[in-house]
Amino acid sequence: MSEFRITLRPALGSVTSIVSENIALTPLPEGHVVHVLGKPGDEALAKRLGSLSDGSAHAVRAAGPGQWFIVGNAAKSHADMTALFEALKPDAYGVDQSQGRVRMLASGPMVERMLAKGTAVDLSLTQFPLGHSTTSVIGHIAAHLTRVADDAFEIMVLRGFAESLWDDLAHMSAEFA
Amino acid sequence: MASLIPCPHCGKRPKEEFTVKGAVLDRPAADATPNAWMDYVYLRDNPRGRYDEYWHHTSGCRRWLVITRDTATHEIEASRDAALARE
Ligand SMILES: [Zn+2]
Repeated sequence: MSEFRITLRPALGSVTSIVSENIALTPLPEGHVVHVLGKPGDEALAKRLGSLSDGSAHAVRAAGPGQWFIVGNAAKSHADMTALFEALKPDAYGVDQSQGRVRMLASGPMVERMLAKGTAVDLSLTQFPLGHSTTSVIGHIAAHLTRVADDAFEIMVLRGFAESLWDDLAHMSAEFA
Repeated sequence: MASLIPCPHCGKRPKEEFTVKGAVLDRPAADATPNAWMDYVYLRDNPRGRYDEYWHHTSGCRRWLVITRDTATHEIEASRDAALARE
């Protein structure tokens, strides 16, 4: 047994949220993130995933052909996670990314203009409607974007990049805050 | 962000999101001659004009694509998913 007890600290535990009329940026709880790997074009699986999520809005996000993320604010026990993996079979495999990926929320009327500084994705509401998701780069960091409201995006990033991306987003938000 | 590459899954994206693997060539049979493998692994034509290349959308959908590109003008004629197009 190690003398040291490993404790899980939130990746964005030390940042200060940005709160203003035009732009806001806040870390989201490190609940659960499950990467689902299925077959491209499996519409039946895509439909079934909603019932396996916690039921909150936009809990299931597309992540390329045959791949999705199921996310939520509450942590899953080992038993709950195992049950989810079993329920995905035989159509898909689940990978627990809860400690691997970190989510943050950017919102406000200037959110598209703020994010457009870092990514070439067309963020207009017609091209990127509510509930739409995609992976792109923000600066040099790959990030997964989901529109969760007309003026709000969730940004999910690999844990090791979370602080760095946060700093970039805060910098990009500065002129609007 | 000069060149925009059309991904069949993600739409137009900057080339910085991609990794280029190179020419699309038919892989020789496992028991092909050493010369055939030498050609496949090392020898390239480097044409001026139309060219089929493998591009990986590394910072996007992570799918392998086949991009038909003109090496002189950089114009892109076609873009398809390497695996799904084969089915
Ligand atoms: Zn793509």
